[in-house]
Amino acid sequence: MKIALVGNPNSGKTTLFNALTGKMEHVGNWAGVTVEKKISPLSEQLADFLRKHLSVDNPGDPIVVIDLPGAYSIDPYSGEEAIARDFILEEKPDVIINIIDANSLERSLFFTTQLLELNIPTVIALNKMDLLRHNGGKIDTAGLSASLKSQVGEIVANKGEGLKDLLLKAVQTAELKAQPAPIATGESSQAGTDARHAFTKKLATDYLVKNRASHEITFSDRVDRVVANSYLGLPIFALVMWAIYAFSINGLGGMLSGYINDTLFGKIVPDAVNGFLTGIGVHPLLTGLIVDGAIGGVGAVVGFLPLIMILFFCLSLLEDSGYMARVAIIMDRYFKKIGLSGKAIIPMIVGTGCSIPGIMATKTIEDDNERMLATILTPFVPCGAKLPIIALLAAVFFPHSTWVFPSIYLIAGALIIIVGLIIKKIYRLESSSAFIVEIPEYKLPSIKLASRQMLKQAKSFLVRAATIILVMNTVIWFMQTYGWRLQEVENQSSSILASVGGILAPLLIPLGFIGWQTTAATLSGFIAKENVVATFAIILASSEEAMHLAGGPLTDFFTPVTAFSFLLFNLFIPPCFAAIGAMNAELGSKRLLRKAILIQFIAGYTVAMLTTQIGTLLLYNRLSGGFIPAVFLTISLVGWLYYLMVRKAGNTKNGFA
Amino acid sequence: MSLNNAKPGDVRLIKALSGDEKKRKFLCTLGCSIGEEITLISVLAGNYIVCIKDNRYALDYNMANSIELA
Repeated sequence: MKIALVGNPNSGKTTLFNALTGKMEHVGNWAGVTVEKKISPLSEQLADFLRKHLSVDNPGDPIVVIDLPGAYSIDPYSGEEAIARDFILEEKPDVIINIIDANSLERSLFFTTQLLELNIPTVIALNKMDLLRHNGGKIDTAGLSASLKSQVGEIVANKGEGLKDLLLKAVQTAELKAQPAPIATGESSQAGTDARHAFTKKLATDYLVKNRASHEITFSDRVDRVVANSYLGLPIFALVMWAIYAFSINGLGGMLSGYINDTLFGKIVPDAVNGFLTGIGVHPLLTGLIVDGAIGGVGAVVGFLPLIMILFFCLSLLEDSGYMARVAIIMDRYFKKIGLSGKAIIPMIVGTGCSIPGIMATKTIEDDNERMLATILTPFVPCGAKLPIIALLAAVFFPHSTWVFPSIYLIAGALIIIVGLIIKKIYRLESSSAFIVEIPEYKLPSIKLASRQMLKQAKSFLVRAATIILVMNTVIWFMQTYGWRLQEVENQSSSILASVGGILAPLLIPLGFIGWQTTAATLSGFIAKENVVATFAIILASSEEAMHLAGGPLTDFFTPVTAFSFLLFNLFIPPCFAAIGAMNAELGSKRLLRKAILIQFIAGYTVAMLTTQIGTLLLYNRLSGGFIPAVFLTISLVGWLYYLMVRKAGNTKNGFA
Repeated sequence: MSLNNAKPGDVRLIKALSGDEKKRKFLCTLGCSIGEEITLISVLAGNYIVCIKDNRYALDYNMANSIELA
């Protein structure tokens, strides 16, 4: 039996989904968090409950729950709304649970009346009843149920209240195989819409008691006048993000990571394993593979786990508070300048965790050009996998400084604006978008929810470390230990890795990066960005000093300026292959994908080149290596971009597609 | 008078909606339809915070401009 969860954005569908299935899907107190359908069997506990309470025992037909993106109506406005409609109409679930935020009853019922006309058994779940009661409101559930000709259950999804009752209602309703419609308005004509509005208004008047007028100025409104203020909004946002990063990276998270990196994976584990393997007479090469390759490489990445966990705990609290919708308001002005709207901040915030869901979240943007632009720009936001790179280089080259992380995000922001502007000029994009976003009321963020989201993030991080990163490390270790004739090499510089890195190394000369090692690390980052750190760990495994310490062996490759430049290079060139796959899916054509990758590569390359050359000149009063080609490249790039921007309007269509 | 010219605290009825069909339809599904009450709560960072039925929305200048108040 298929149970589909359908309702307005931010009504709590994913929260209910998690409660029914025991999953830990991402939830947030803002519209548009879920952008694709998710399917999972009912949790064992609830399935047991059903078996006990239902007269009809039906063990051959397990219940699956489907979480769908939110929609305000059956006619889709943006891409993710279409997903919900298509699923309902094509897959015909056995029963729909229509989730309604009890605090916006009248609006939600509009969609409900449309759903009830589909002749699919439907039950209604009034969610967030605690909030309604807290505000002194009441709903006559029995009356509503009679008028809608459908069963209605009251729930508080995030506390698990009313779930069993709702589930029983859903299963009983599914047996009916049909659904009467309370009003038959026909199609979506204006008259039909008006009839719907009149009907929902009557329902709200008849069955909803409110204690306060909804247009009264609330606490949330007062807070918004400060945090979304024209002048204070952006500084407050910057301060909030700085505080979160300072706490996660330099504070508690950094301390724990430091311990794991320096002591646990730096000494205790390798020493113990080394001793053990030597003790039982394992071949030194195999010991090398296990200790230097697997433990060294994976350990270098896993060491950053506490930092990432604490960061995502804080971000989850922030998201749950309802603040993110305000960020969209603040950013709207700036994004308008580059042909985007405030909605584009949503993929970018999601992208701080991982670019893949970030890129998928561009579905919520309705305009085609805007959506493609957001898809290209979203990977510039440093994702979770890039944090170890930043943390490593910050620890080695800029110990005790708190400016590295904030500056990275500022540079990322500036880059998004600059690249956006250039693209807008080249393709002559017109901002046609109309921005509208729902503003949820603030609420006290849930520690329980944040902990669950943090554990989920930790789990996926560890799974990556144990799979893709471990495999890649083994490959890297092999490549740097053996030569092309599969002979063990005395000197790393005659290894396979050195020659592969060496082929591309000349390309990085204008950036001031010397040697095959930096190239190899960058290349391995396309598999997963954490590999940049892991690859250095493997290459430097024979070094006496620990890699993470200030002034460690990485100083052989970089000055502080080129280290910072290398950091920017790895953050802003195209993302890992998995994220490129997501870009491919969202852009929908190979030609656009090639364009997007080229734009990202040029952006990352140019930022790194300018950082190295200008930084070296200003801070060290000398020319960096590759100065002449860098000047040549810069002039060519500026000329080329200038040509693209001023060429005659007739030569090109407006827009990408 | 369009919504852009309203003052924070104004409670008005919606007289007309302009703009393309898709946008008007979308506003309509939110309950922003002719004859419905709308309150301008505040103007923040160039966006119009309005209350329609029981919900708050932020609308940009263009959106707000397409809502004509009685």
